[in-house]
Amino acid sequence: MKSARFDEIAAKVRAGERLSEDDGLALFVEPDLLSLGALANEVREQRHGDRAYFNRNVRLEVTNVCVASCRFCSFAKLEEGHPDAVTMTVAQALENLRGKIDPAALPTEVHVVNGLHAGLPFSYYEDLLSALRAEWPTIHRKCFTAVEIVFFAQHYGMTVDAVFDRLIAAGLESLPGGGAEIFHPDVRARIAPDKASADEWLDVHRRAHARGMFTNATMLYGHIETYAHRVDHLLRLRALQDEAIAKNHPARIQAFIPLAFHPDGNGMKQLPGTTGIDDLRTLAVSRLMLDNVDHLKAYWVSSTPKVAQIGLAFGADDVDGTIVSETIYGAAGKKAPEGLTVDDLTRLIREAGRVPVERDTLYRVVQEHPRAAPEATVKLRDRRQGRHLQVLDEV
Amino acid sequence: MERIRIAGVGFLNAAPLLAGLGDDPEVDLFVGSPAEVTRRFAEGEADVALLPVAAAIQLGDLELLDLGISSAGPVRSVVVVAERPVASIERLVLDASSRTSVVLARLELAARGCPALAHPTPALPPDEAVALASGATGALVIGDPALAVEHRFPHVLDLAQSFRERTGHPFVFAAWAARPGAFDARTLDRLRTAAKKGLAERRAIAEAWALERKLPAEGYVRYLEESIHYELGPAERAGLLRFAEDGARAGLLPRATLRFVGETAPAKPSVDAILDRVVAGERLSFHEAMRLHDEADLFSLGLAADAVRRRKNPPDVVTYIVDRNVNYTNVCTTSCKFCAFYRPVGHEDGYVLSREQLGAKLQEVVDAGGVQILLQGGLNPALRIEWYEDLFRWMKGTYGLGLHALSPEEILHLAALESLPVRTVLDRLHAAGLDSVPGGGAEILVDRVRKNVAKAKCTSEEWLSVMRTAHRMGLRSSATMMYGTTDRAEDRVLHLLKVRDLQDETGGFTAFFCWDFQYERGTRIAPGDHGTVLYLRTQALARLLLDNVDHVGASWVTQGPEVGQLALRFGADDWGSVMFEENVVSSAGTTFRMNAARIEDVVHAAGYRVTRRNVRYDHLDEPH
Repeated sequence: MKSARFDEIAAKVRAGERLSEDDGLALFVEPDLLSLGALANEVREQRHGDRAYFNRNVRLEVTNVCVASCRFCSFAKLEEGHPDAVTMTVAQALENLRGKIDPAALPTEVHVVNGLHAGLPFSYYEDLLSALRAEWPTIHRKCFTAVEIVFFAQHYGMTVDAVFDRLIAAGLESLPGGGAEIFHPDVRARIAPDKASADEWLDVHRRAHARGMFTNATMLYGHIETYAHRVDHLLRLRALQDEAIAKNHPARIQAFIPLAFHPDGNGMKQLPGTTGIDDLRTLAVSRLMLDNVDHLKAYWVSSTPKVAQIGLAFGADDVDGTIVSETIYGAAGKKAPEGLTVDDLTRLIREAGRVPVERDTLYRVVQEHPRAAPEATVKLRDRRQGRHLQVLDEV
Repeated sequence: MERIRIAGVGFLNAAPLLAGLGDDPEVDLFVGSPAEVTRRFAEGEADVALLPVAAAIQLGDLELLDLGISSAGPVRSVVVVAERPVASIERLVLDASSRTSVVLARLELAARGCPALAHPTPALPPDEAVALASGATGALVIGDPALAVEHRFPHVLDLAQSFRERTGHPFVFAAWAARPGAFDARTLDRLRTAAKKGLAERRAIAEAWALERKLPAEGYVRYLEESIHYELGPAERAGLLRFAEDGARAGLLPRATLRFVGETAPAKPSVDAILDRVVAGERLSFHEAMRLHDEADLFSLGLAADAVRRRKNPPDVVTYIVDRNVNYTNVCTTSCKFCAFYRPVGHEDGYVLSREQLGAKLQEVVDAGGVQILLQGGLNPALRIEWYEDLFRWMKGTYGLGLHALSPEEILHLAALESLPVRTVLDRLHAAGLDSVPGGGAEILVDRVRKNVAKAKCTSEEWLSVMRTAHRMGLRSSATMMYGTTDRAEDRVLHLLKVRDLQDETGGFTAFFCWDFQYERGTRIAPGDHGTVLYLRTQALARLLLDNVDHVGASWVTQGPEVGQLALRFGADDWGSVMFEENVVSSAGTTFRMNAARIEDVVHAAGYRVTRRNVRYDHLDEPH
């Protein structure tokens, strides 16, 4: 049953008022999940109507060697020489992508994130970017989390802006949202003690926005953090976005992506993982709290396509893309398939009652897909004529 | 020009309305029992039907013609017969032919203070029903059989007369009905011409009828000329509305949305108003359910289903059962297109589990504290009824587990294989240890869909009749629905209505489960309506429609535990089974398995207490 507090919060949302930290906490414990979802859906439909976005993207992870020792990670193998450690040369990376890319239907985005590898020269990353640009000039390069950018600055002795100067010159176009984990120091110190702090992460994004580079933002939830930590995380992102807006930066956070913690094969494998209810609740609260971020992504790799479909009703307007193959959640026991085709994604979206819209990395429309598949249109017409049951559809 | 598809009832009293229609080249006339007429119309096989009024109310949003079958006094063809005064009978045996009469009988008997007939005996063919009427048991008999038996019982309650005395209104049994707009000029002309001709020829019709049966004609002439009224004027309409009102108040019928041709359609209620009414306990009509399907948003449906679930079951408790699904053979003769599990007879991968294999599986269930075996398999012609009887006795004798076994399809297969009636097969299996019947193989209980995906399978009516027979013997069963092949929303709602109708008769269904067809691997049919949003919506709609079924289970095996958790907010109060193994769905690529500890964790994480249950949904431990 809906709480009285929920009605107050709903009234604020409908009046366009900003929600407070207390409001956020109340929403995370609101017993009436469905009323919460309905409220988030109101906001989502005000912003995006029935549209749901996806893109055609490929992912690349060039190395899983990492100096950080995050307890939630099943991907990083820490040291070169570990039997499962993989580091690709630039040529190998290109070869890897050629295997994922259909030249007749080029994707619009390559998403590159890696371990923090201490043994590679900075020029490796520049070479990688320029090689990507040379081979596929039309594919948008969304590369390196803020954590990697901070690592580059520290490891190679440069300022963040200098790192950006060189990477942008080599072809970097936008930043993915990874590495945010949970910002609050009480949690961050325990799960990710030796990588970029919250302030460092936020600073990278601030500088990216100032120089016109769009970014995404994530939150890894469902491990040792409390709801208060989640709300704190959302508020820090909201403040960062406020700043980008107030200072009229040419770019800002485009999308927020809650990432469910998966426990297999990492330092927190004793934890249970998230529930479907928590996944949807987190989407809904994020939609309501982040009143200044346009897009909310139900990332199908993390939540499974089944839950992502429902996520499109709980505030999300994006499901990410075709992916083709992904190794980070893959290492943590994800239940989702390797990649999805455009047909899979448009079907997934339509089945959720939404209209599929293919976007590029910057949310420009690539292709509007029809609201419903042709056979569904026929079905509706038949029903209006009261003849629906006579149409035999032998498959 | 398309032929007008007309379905009429084959009783004598309907004959005057059908006069000459059978010879009309523009008319495609079907004549059958009220139940079959209703089925054809509901499933879109007829444009116009002489519908029993209860069926018209169940479907909703239809137009009625001012021609039908009514009676302002004794009708003689709708009676309760008994050996003692009718108000004192304790059990009522129903005639299978008409829901309208069943509702009327329950209303009239209740009004006479007759002991509550909450669980009338499932419907039987009229002669069987009459044969059972003795002592404290009465029988509802309708149509021509009633005219034949009225003199054989000392106590006969004429239900139309009873209604008339109680309400002051004539009773309407049936009326010509069609979907809005279907009564065009051509159709109206045909029906009015037929009635005019038929009413003028009532004596001849009755005499021919009597002659054919070698009976004296005069009673039948009086019946057609005096007992039955064919024109539905203001008095009849008032009676129809009163019946609808009483039926809705008793929870036997949805609120009526009927109107006569020429009347303006009443304003459509909002979806929210429909949801409020169903949450308050009113029945949904087909039309209302379709409106919810098409128009209600996910959250409103879920909240309403959750409200009903909280009313019917402890709000914070979720049940599950520790049992094991054992598929004793994969050899099957039906070759359903959606199935990746079966092997044809003679295939090298075909198997029948040996006693050793079965014993090992059963012992594991006993060791895990399990209470039941769910035993299902293919239709394997090598396995005779004695094989099952021996197997059941051995299983019960050795392991003492509950035996939830053999879906209707398997029972029908055995009946055919042994040339035995279904009742005999069930009696023998029951004697050998069968405790309850799983509700599998229902797929979609609309034959058009069944023919598309499973040509060799039993018809909807056969499936339902096995369940009716099992329930009549006191065996409980679950009901299921597998959608997402070639079914449409209308088919799914009709399926749910058929389950609800049978449950009204028998009360034998314990729970309802639904899931979408899993098409990943090895099946030979393209997926239709699918997805987790549709799953949650369908389950919620089922919770709202099946007001007479206690429990709804979440199908986490097909949807995954995360969606299963959410399903608990969309009307489900049960988590099904632990699943030691499951071969059929997993053959199609979907494998979600859980042990009891994991189930309890998952249910707790969803915010509920959890308790183990048996097949009757009794709690076996304290919810925790």
